[in-house]
Amino acid sequence: MISARNISKVFNAGSPSEFIALRELSLDIQLHQTTVLKGPSGSGKTTLLALLGCMSRPTTGRIFLNDREITSLPERFLTEVRRSTFGFVFQQFNLIKGISALENVMAPAYPTGEKFSLLRSRALATLKMFNLAQRADAKVEWLSGGEAQRVAIARALINNPSVIIADEPTAHLDTKLAREFLGIMADLKARGTTLILSSHDPVIYDSPLADRVVEMRDGQVVGESPRS
Amino acid sequence: MMLHPNILALFFSSLLISLMTLYASGYGILILRRWDISSGSELQLALERRTYLISTIISYFLAFQLVSLFLFIHTADSICHLFVGAMCAVGTLTANDFGYPTLLLKVVTFILAGLWLILNYADNLGYDYPLIRAKYLLLLFTAPFVLAETVLQAIFFLKLTPDIITSCCGALFSQAARGIASEVVSMPGVPMQIAFYGCILATFAAGARFWLRGKGAYLVGILSGISFLVSIAAMVSFISLYIYEMPSHHCPFCVLQKEYGFIGYPLYALLLSGTVSGLGVGLLQRFRSKQSLVLILPSVQRQLVAFSLTSFLFFAVIVTWKVLFTSFTLQGF
Repeated sequence: MISARNISKVFNAGSPSEFIALRELSLDIQLHQTTVLKGPSGSGKTTLLALLGCMSRPTTGRIFLNDREITSLPERFLTEVRRSTFGFVFQQFNLIKGISALENVMAPAYPTGEKFSLLRSRALATLKMFNLAQRADAKVEWLSGGEAQRVAIARALINNPSVIIADEPTAHLDTKLAREFLGIMADLKARGTTLILSSHDPVIYDSPLADRVVEMRDGQVVGESPRS
Repeated sequence: MMLHPNILALFFSSLLISLMTLYASGYGILILRRWDISSGSELQLALERRTYLISTIISYFLAFQLVSLFLFIHTADSICHLFVGAMCAVGTLTANDFGYPTLLLKVVTFILAGLWLILNYADNLGYDYPLIRAKYLLLLFTAPFVLAETVLQAIFFLKLTPDIITSCCGALFSQAARGIASEVVSMPGVPMQIAFYGCILATFAAGARFWLRGKGAYLVGILSGISFLVSIAAMVSFISLYIYEMPSHHCPFCVLQKEYGFIGYPLYALLLSGTVSGLGVGLLQRFRSKQSLVLILPSVQRQLVAFSLTSFLFFAVIVTWKVLFTSFTLQGF
């Protein structure tokens, strides 16, 4: 279980542009389930995902991953938790331009020190899983929207994470690609991967994939609806 | 004050180290008073974020503190020609009353800074800041020495005026002189050799025991400290004689000069590194029960003891090489 306890996140604290993104928020997320964070822009979904995924630290409060408190961890320990536990799919995909799809997929695993040939074959296998083997050597700027999305998901999976975090994954996709994304996520869930998605797209939060929809507004949880 | 590049480097680096140590000490007081890892308060989370940055910065400053000891003695040695009667660093250090106290404080802060770096390294290996209080407590203890050293060093350099008549090492490190130096010089050579090799062997035996069985960490620390003091005395008493191949030249600073192949630098570096890492073995023993370090500290201590023994070994080898393979002999003295 991932538990957030009384977490707040304040940006530019003490300055005139101070912004409170999260306010004393507490939330438990069950593993092996799909949790969707739903809410309008500015409700704190992205900030919460960043905190849960160890990409930033809260201003107050603690986060526990399987009863292990992770917010106090020194950076190098937090990096290890982030690398081994979480895979990220970003709204804009954030693929590195100028290098190939294969190199993008391999990038998050470079710090692990895995033998290059093994890593390359794993990355190729992951791309093959998404029917992208023939596009492995293509630069990412040559990829279509759907291909770029699948490369982003392949990259998120390269370190075999137990949790996939996806921030507004369908924001730039048409309905067909959004449904394709949901299909991939359903496969991952069937394999036991925990999914945490943020979206204000009904295609996501109304889908049968979502076990639980958490509604957010103004940095707080204002309601939730278990779906199963 | 003389505008020598080394003096300016020492002056400003000490100033920066003091300011940073003061800032970190203030932060350390806050940590000692308010640190609570179980709390998710804003202050606690801010302390966790900032300690990482401050520890990293202060470790670089204290690493330079280690280097500054050698820069200081090198500077004292290299400007001795400016003082009438000076032949080596001794002349510079006795040009006013603040030279030797500064050197003494430099040695003390070297050891304290070394121990802090060891503690900081061990602390960074734990996921829950296991040595954070000990680390900042040691920093608070170190801070007055660093500040005093900065002040004394500044006064020493500010009061240095060229052409002042000073003493050469022959006058200071002779049996006719007064003070600790002459008492050390007067120590009989052979018993001092026995004491020196006895201490080194005892440190080796304790270190080997710790390496093999993991026992006697405190003993390693204590013997390393004793070996340091005895080795310094031995340096003045008999090692210097073999290096200079002169029966009455006991200066521990002329060994830093080109005429003697700068042999003093590796000797002192080995002695200090062996001492600090040996003391570190004993220091870390106190924290072996910390849950997050239980599996880590023994290997860190083994690395330290290996480094300490290697340093002492090379120190002893250089000394023995000089004792055995120079034409000079102490027989009859």
